[in-house]
Amino acid sequence: MDTDTIFHVLGICVVVCPAALLGALGLRAIVGRPLGEESINRCTYASIMVGLTAAVAILGMMLVFGTRHVAIELGDWVVIPQQHFHFHLKFVFDRLSVPFVILSYLLCGTVGAFTSRYLHREPGYGRFYVSYAFFTLGMVITSLAGTIEVLFFGWELVGLSSALLVAFFQERTAPVRNGLRVWSVYRLADAAFLIAAVALHHMTGAGDFDRLMGSGSWPERVASLTPRQALFVGLLLLVAAAGKSALVPLSGWLPRAMEGPTPSSAIFYGALSVHLGAFLLLRVSPILELSIWLSAAVVGVGLVTALFAAITARVQTDIKSALAYASLTQVGLIVAEIGLGLRYIALIHILGHACLRTLQLLRAPTLLHDYHTLENAIGGHLHHQQGIWARVIPAPARLWCYRFAMERGYLDGLLDECVAHPFLRVFRWCDAAERRWTDFLSGGRSRESDAVEVHAEVVEELRL
Amino acid sequence: MNPTLAKHSRSATTAGRRAEPLRHLIEHVAHQLPAQGPITAFIHHNTLHAFQALPFEQAVVKGAATFGCHPYLPEARYRTMLEQGRIRAADIEATLIDDLGDRADALLGLLGTRFHLYMAMLEHPLRTGPTEELRWVMAETDALRKFFKTVAPGVRDRVVQDTRRWIMRDLTDGAVAREEDQRAKILVDAVFDTFDKPHIEQWDTDTWEAFSLHLLWLVCRDGVRGADISWKPPSMPIRHRDVLLDATGEDSDQPVHDLLIRFCAAFLDQGFAQCSLPDRDDGFYRSFVNLYRQSAGPPDRWRRGLRDELRRIENRALSPLESIAESLSLLGVGYDEDEEFIAHTLLALRGYAGMIWQLETRGDRAARPVPPGSLIEFLAVRLILDRLALAAVAYEVLGYRGPLDGLRGFARERAGLRETSGVEQRTFLVFQLAQVVGWKPESLYRLSPVAWSMLLAELESFSGLERRRIYHLAFERRYRIQTLDAVAAHCRQINSGGSAAGERCTGNAVGDDGPSNDDHDRTDATETCAAPCIPLFQVICCLDEREESFRRHLEEVAPDCETLSTAGFFAVAMYYRGAADAYYTPLCPVIIKPRHYVCEDVVYTFKEADKLRRKRRRTIGTVTHRVHVGSRTFAGGWLAAVLGSMASIPLVMRILFPRATAQLRRRFGGFVRTPSVTQLQLERTESAPGPDKGHVGYRVEEMAAIVQRVLCDVGVTRTISRLVIVCGHGSSSLNNPHESAHDCGACGGGRGGPNARAFAHMANDPRVRHILLMGGLSIPDETVFVGGYHNTCDDNMTYYDLDRLPSTHKDDFARASAALDEARQRSAHERCRRFESAELRLSTEAALRHVEGRAEDLSQVRPEYGHATNALCFVGRREWSRGLFLDRRAFLQSYDPAQDDENLTILTRILQAVFPVCAGINLEYYFSYVDPTGYGCGTKLPHNIVSLLGVMNGAASDLRPGLPWQMVEIHEPVRLLFVIETTVAAMLWIMERNEGIAELVRGNWVQLATLDPATSEIQWFRNGRFECYYPETGDLPQVTSSIDWYRGWREHLGFASLKRNTAMAESMGSG
Repeated sequence: MDTDTIFHVLGICVVVCPAALLGALGLRAIVGRPLGEESINRCTYASIMVGLTAAVAILGMMLVFGTRHVAIELGDWVVIPQQHFHFHLKFVFDRLSVPFVILSYLLCGTVGAFTSRYLHREPGYGRFYVSYAFFTLGMVITSLAGTIEVLFFGWELVGLSSALLVAFFQERTAPVRNGLRVWSVYRLADAAFLIAAVALHHMTGAGDFDRLMGSGSWPERVASLTPRQALFVGLLLLVAAAGKSALVPLSGWLPRAMEGPTPSSAIFYGALSVHLGAFLLLRVSPILELSIWLSAAVVGVGLVTALFAAITARVQTDIKSALAYASLTQVGLIVAEIGLGLRYIALIHILGHACLRTLQLLRAPTLLHDYHTLENAIGGHLHHQQGIWARVIPAPARLWCYRFAMERGYLDGLLDECVAHPFLRVFRWCDAAERRWTDFLSGGRSRESDAVEVHAEVVEELRL
Repeated sequence: MNPTLAKHSRSATTAGRRAEPLRHLIEHVAHQLPAQGPITAFIHHNTLHAFQALPFEQAVVKGAATFGCHPYLPEARYRTMLEQGRIRAADIEATLIDDLGDRADALLGLLGTRFHLYMAMLEHPLRTGPTEELRWVMAETDALRKFFKTVAPGVRDRVVQDTRRWIMRDLTDGAVAREEDQRAKILVDAVFDTFDKPHIEQWDTDTWEAFSLHLLWLVCRDGVRGADISWKPPSMPIRHRDVLLDATGEDSDQPVHDLLIRFCAAFLDQGFAQCSLPDRDDGFYRSFVNLYRQSAGPPDRWRRGLRDELRRIENRALSPLESIAESLSLLGVGYDEDEEFIAHTLLALRGYAGMIWQLETRGDRAARPVPPGSLIEFLAVRLILDRLALAAVAYEVLGYRGPLDGLRGFARERAGLRETSGVEQRTFLVFQLAQVVGWKPESLYRLSPVAWSMLLAELESFSGLERRRIYHLAFERRYRIQTLDAVAAHCRQINSGGSAAGERCTGNAVGDDGPSNDDHDRTDATETCAAPCIPLFQVICCLDEREESFRRHLEEVAPDCETLSTAGFFAVAMYYRGAADAYYTPLCPVIIKPRHYVCEDVVYTFKEADKLRRKRRRTIGTVTHRVHVGSRTFAGGWLAAVLGSMASIPLVMRILFPRATAQLRRRFGGFVRTPSVTQLQLERTESAPGPDKGHVGYRVEEMAAIVQRVLCDVGVTRTISRLVIVCGHGSSSLNNPHESAHDCGACGGGRGGPNARAFAHMANDPRVRHILLMGGLSIPDETVFVGGYHNTCDDNMTYYDLDRLPSTHKDDFARASAALDEARQRSAHERCRRFESAELRLSTEAALRHVEGRAEDLSQVRPEYGHATNALCFVGRREWSRGLFLDRRAFLQSYDPAQDDENLTILTRILQAVFPVCAGINLEYYFSYVDPTGYGCGTKLPHNIVSLLGVMNGAASDLRPGLPWQMVEIHEPVRLLFVIETTVAAMLWIMERNEGIAELVRGNWVQLATLDPATSEIQWFRNGRFECYYPETGDLPQVTSSIDWYRGWREHLGFASLKRNTAMAESMGSG
């Protein structure tokens, strides 16, 4: 067997493992014969181990043979010749995707093992693992994507599973509401991504990163766009990344996402999916180089986010929100690093930060225990030092800063006022216009649904 | 805005007058708020403590109305228990007869007696639903084509046959039209429309079945419509938010809570946030006003007026109470509504409101208490926000811009009186009952309207709530009967000399080889038992029900030992500081406020080592804290994150190999750990106790009093062994905000090891013994007390001060600790049967490893089950409960009536502690189980620690007091059954003199029985007086060892008597 075949087999293995897991868990659930806890654990363990081993083997071979770019082609799946469109399934192993896919496997595997005990006897056990399989598959596909369509496909899987896991406790309203909020912000990001993808197709004729970024292996590539094109596409991609990585002004959803079980919060919002935006920017980093304005925008968004999150983190009183904003601070820095062209540092930063934050989030329920231990070790109450800022800023401004931080930068309110409300108004106006028109045509009340009462009758049995 | 301003000036004049009574009112209402303090010292208490003055059955209904929580389990759960045999039909019958009394046999027209009607309603699940749903069921399911599956075929056939006969006889075309059949004719014709009437003679049985059901439904509906039922309008909600929610589906509390949760958490924060709330010390109201009256505020629509409102209030210098009064009049709340309105408003965010009240009134339990009056200030702020949110929602959804005092009326009008006639529900109820009981359409048709009214009134008076109550009483009855039967049977066996109990005095000579005694010697020993004889060694445990299995196994392993128990603080109520602790923590029941301080010091030899290690600890602690905080900041976080890949190693290790990682950490943790040789500063030189030098500790006389008290309580004044092990308990687990709830309840949610150690120390002191001897209590010179600590989570045993053990006692201790080791291993094994993740076929060694792993596992949400399944409390000598398998469900308090005086001093002080503590634990588990999300704090999985004092659900929610589902999931909600070895007269005497005990007993918050072990006669407290209890059965399964009884079984287990099997005990004890 020659090296290429081995690469090919291993590469397919890496992609197929989570897909097989999803098939095993999902299909059984669909036909109404869900697996038990034991079998789910075994399937998860097996697929993660095989996938991880294959990924590590690829890394080893790449190091041994000095290969820096391995592409796994799986052919065109959809071809529309008239539109010059083809959905080309292609995965790429390079210096960016291999560490990222190994990280995904490592953290997903650990969290999978953690969850098997944490969610023991929980009615939604199977549901969690189906979402988990979706997520793992999405992460692996996104990391390895060789074309922008494939990346989008993985990106969507991650988004879908994230929103579902935020709303994991579907019998309460808060998780569902917050899940919906996460989902709406994700859709915004997806829309920007999709437009960017279409634009790229239009400009270069294909979604392949090879074609897009020119030849050579990551990160030493040169993109083949004009600066103006780069700015346009880059800004759209920045919006997409901002939605996924909760950059300013789309940060409001991140603390709200802490509604699911602790391990899902840990892996998604602490570790993996929050870095996906940064990963996207890393992947398209050759484009960033083309336009100084674009780079500046990326740096700006990153720094503003980091600053905002650092201030906000200082006033959080619950451990999960505090960790969410701590995560965001670092994600902001990572994005700024990418904007500055420090790609390797950004990559190392992502890897380290994801591991650290996962551990911290998984340990979040131990907070009281840890504080007690620390207090005993130090021999007194834990004190927070007042930073220099406290001394420099005058009192009224401090008060204002405190409220700004406590209100989380007013970002949720701003989004509601500037995006959601105008949107609603437009559609309500359209609705009213339509009603008038149909009423006019039918010569009377045209909507039967208007007459239906909201039914809120409560029977004694249900009330108690 | 003019009308509002006018309103303001008018309302301000009334505000002053209204304000003062409000303070009183709010403090009165505050007692309904959850009474749980900071979670770090979890104290079990009756969840419905606010209603404890009411009898249990009324209180749960009131609780349901006030808090919107379940009073009992859902009916379906009880019905499952009925199928599993946990409740028997006989129990339900007996309970129902008991409950109905004379009313049971009342005849209800054609339909049999009331008792039979109610029994039918209990036996068959009766469903109901909203009108639309019922219509759907009728139209879309085969409810009108097939009888319910539960209906007996005989009943079904009879109904179908009779209906057929009636139709063919009276209602087909050829029949003579009679006056009274006119309506029936109309009904039947309506049914015929959907059936093939011309071929009626060829109809098969299925057609007739469907026809009968159609007719039955119509007849029922006809009857219900004709009946005269008084329709009670549902009570109108009092809060504007609820009215608005009903009318529009918009929740005005949601934006208010979003803000208020964040602000309350910041206000209550015990030191988690790096920046604390500015002006926190000025109080809730002041800091809120300061924060939100500044310009350039949040852009949210509903809060646009907040700044102006706060500035207006500030300009007029309204106090919080005046502001509340003003808000109330602006909202149009009448004076008569004040109390209810305020109660509902406070309960809307009851977790935080309750915590504010707790920190305000019990500030001694928190690191950062809040100023008095905070609850009032909270309410003032809340009402201001409520007003803004209501105005915004009312405008947005209803287009209402008028003053808020008209809002409730307006919204109610808009909602329309969405009243339900209830005809469908009632019809469906009768329809179901008619099927299962076999009422025929004809007889129902012939019922007069008066009879219908009576029937419906009966059905309504036996509502779902009543049925659940009866079921619950039946469930409790079954367990009570099993318990009392088992106790009586066990006592009889002991008295006839056939069980493992009564074996305590085999060691006829102290220092004998004990376990090697053969059967022959044993019989001799039993005969000589008339004289007090000394057990080989004694163990005094906590009365906690988790120690029951530990003691039982110990008695099996070492039949020559005696186990005793009392409240696990061993009368040593103290503030304690360990050698490695930063502060003093109280170790005693929460009702006691300790006066004494005790601290642990490293012995002089290791002073230097200790200093060094303390320094290392401090360094590491400071660094860890810096990393902990720094990793969440800008620059520190950058550094931490870049090096963060290292975190993957502990991450993976701890999750995949928890137990091994813990061992590794312990091995390498040695260089910072406190040297293991320490001593307690137990003796005081100054006169007044206190935390300062010289004031720490007890005086010798105080020590003597403590030792005397405990020894008298447990009743070992004459038979003290050479070795007495005093064993406190606690629990340690990871990733568990509720860790403290597993600790010793008698130590106020602390760990009882230091209490045991201090007690042993005191009892070993010759001066103490001398004083005791003066008082007539003689502790033999050769007796040595050893303090110990049992970790109920990983079943580990630690002993204290072993270096002081005299060499003469080394062998005794070795033998005892070997037996204890075997016992804790077996106890771990017994615990594992309830853990689904532990295989049933584990060996005892593997079981111990399993529980050790659980305690160290970050991902384990059930490190132990705590007090779950607690149901009994035995107070009396161990003799009569020894050898009875109690399945870790019984609190056991030792008490020897023979040693009590005529004033019952000992029993009184025992019961004064045992009743509130045990009943509190039991009732907290009861309520957290019957409504895990209402009274309990729901599942642990999304819990989020906030402000270092409680948990929220997910990103932001109200604080959640109560117990998590993972702690209570195997619990069985029954009220605690006390079995006390005393006389009825004595018990009544004590109840008369102790308000607290009487309230619990007479209010049926606990069940109570007294026992005379000599005659095995039991009297139980029922309907306000003691009655003689006659056992149902005298059978009690006999098994050779505990493991033979529980092996291979996860579910609940009944009682069994352990037969004496010394040969086995010895072989296992030595192995």
